[in-house]
Amino acid sequence: MTATIDWAPVLAGDPLLQISQELFSTMIDLEPGLVERWVGDRPILDDPRYTWVDVAGEQLVRVVIGTGRETGEAITRALLGLPDGTPVSDEDYVDAVGEVANVVCGNVKSLVTHPGTLTIPVVAPAAPALEHGTCLEDACLSWRGAPITVALWLLP
Amino acid sequence: MKALVIDDSRVMRRIIGAILTDVGFEVIEAGDGQEALMRLEQHPDVRLCCIDWNMPVMNGYEFIVATRKRPEYRDITLMMITTEGEQEQIVRALAAGAHEYVIKPFTADVIVDKLGYLGLLDAEVHA
Amino acid sequence: MTLAPDSFDFVATLVRRRSAIQLDVGKEYLVESRLAPLARSAGAIDVEAFIRSVRANVTLHDQVVEALTTNETSWFRDRHPFDVLKDTVIPDAMTRRGGQLRVWSAACSSGQEPYSIAMTVAEHFPQLRASIVATDLSESVLAQGRAGQYSQLEVNRGLPAPLLVKHFERKGPVFEVSEQLRSMVTFRRHNLLDAPPLGGPFDVVFLRNVLIYFDVATKRDVMRRVRSVLAPGGWVLLGAAESTIGVDDIWERVPVAGGALYRPREGKAA
Ligand SMILES: C[S@@+](CC[C@H](N)C(=O)[O-])C[C@H]1O[C@@H](n2cnc3c(N)ncnc32)[C@H](O)[C@@H]1O
Repeated sequence: MTATIDWAPVLAGDPLLQISQELFSTMIDLEPGLVERWVGDRPILDDPRYTWVDVAGEQLVRVVIGTGRETGEAITRALLGLPDGTPVSDEDYVDAVGEVANVVCGNVKSLVTHPGTLTIPVVAPAAPALEHGTCLEDACLSWRGAPITVALWLLP
Repeated sequence: MKALVIDDSRVMRRIIGAILTDVGFEVIEAGDGQEALMRLEQHPDVRLCCIDWNMPVMNGYEFIVATRKRPEYRDITLMMITTEGEQEQIVRALAAGAHEYVIKPFTADVIVDKLGYLGLLDAEVHA
Repeated sequence: MTLAPDSFDFVATLVRRRSAIQLDVGKEYLVESRLAPLARSAGAIDVEAFIRSVRANVTLHDQVVEALTTNETSWFRDRHPFDVLKDTVIPDAMTRRGGQLRVWSAACSSGQEPYSIAMTVAEHFPQLRASIVATDLSESVLAQGRAGQYSQLEVNRGLPAPLLVKHFERKGPVFEVSEQLRSMVTFRRHNLLDAPPLGGPFDVVFLRNVLIYFDVATKRDVMRRVRSVLAPGGWVLLGAAESTIGVDDIWERVPVAGGALYRPREGKAA
């Protein structure tokens, strides 16, 4: 069953935008409407950080989230309920943005009923090299005006 | 009342812990199922466990199976809180003995509402 | 940008006339935020411009009214009405009517309320033949009720997991209500300001979290219309913040564990 996941209907539902909106509205913003599709040219991320989680099953599915460091810190503070401007430790950062990737990836997995386990999140200053993978969707979103990229990959 | 929050993500533990503390629980934490079993030994008065599914060492499903084998833990309410949203997984967890199941992402009131009908809210704190 | 008083008045009057929902001065922000998405999809430059085009085009009136309804709801909302249904209302109706139950879920929003009623029946009275008429003013919430599809966030809200797996099936991003529950519920568009819907007389009417939007005279009239389709011995359930006290003394409030039931007083016949 895994080898023949039919992605077309799943992708038609705009899953990355939808899941991100649900996640941000419930756990980060505590109100809806602050995540939208990015309008205009794809921006360059400022001091970028990439965070990814895989579903390791027969097929390897990866969700990669890209943000500027500052945006990631803002996400971390919001998730943890810390006041604006509180310094964010690396540990909290990895844990918080990692959890965002984890929830997005877990929700994608549920959409395709893909049996397999989620891996521990990885954070790095560069996007993972994925020459041999297929990019199924690469969404650029705007959260309170800051760019966040969310990509879904199928790895060999 | 004492609650045990079992999740490998510290951030998640803090988020869930804050929700529970707000409604009057005393919260202890564990990073995986194995550690959680140890905590239960130390705190036999735990009434509620909030359990993630995917964790290293011992996952949440295995933890539920393990606690359900122990008659002394019969009165503990087990609530899964996980990104695993497939119907099959929900059915499996309930069949193994979970009482409730929350799919991430969630809001605080989803958890509080479920605690309410599970009879775990102290009327005074949460009037 | 703040809404011109004249534009606000126009919207408030339209909404009051069509739905009886009261939008008092001070609710400008609500009008703006609810109409902004409509304005955007209509290509208007702002809400003010959108309202200008609404004034000139009656076919846009329905969607404006719908946008200003509050559709907030959840499964087994407040719990106790569903306990009362199970412990008091249904057993009571069964002694009078045998194996049949007629329910009106008025202002049902997206269907969580009528389906919660259907689940109560399916779980505790599987032999009972229940027909639930579920009505609302808003077509968009009715469409969701008819489709019987709810997002993960929606099923998280108040639906016990054992009932979720029993009565729903996951289909991609949504959970879909079972055929068994669906066969009990009929969704129909209905405005509470109009004559009551067909399908009565009803053994119980759920009229929850909608009277709060109306003025006293409208509350009384709506309740009187409800009474006209109540079966002898039938009950009305209101929302947690609602009551007939100070509205109309033809109603008797009967306290039950955790809340109250309402029925017409004896001797005050319709
Ligand atoms: C807050 S919801 C209540 C839903 C459900 N009864 C509950 O308690 O969860 C209120 C509903 O009343 C509907 N409504 C408002 N005015 C109405 C009217 N005049 N006639 C019929 N329905 C109306 C709205 O469309 C909305 O779905």
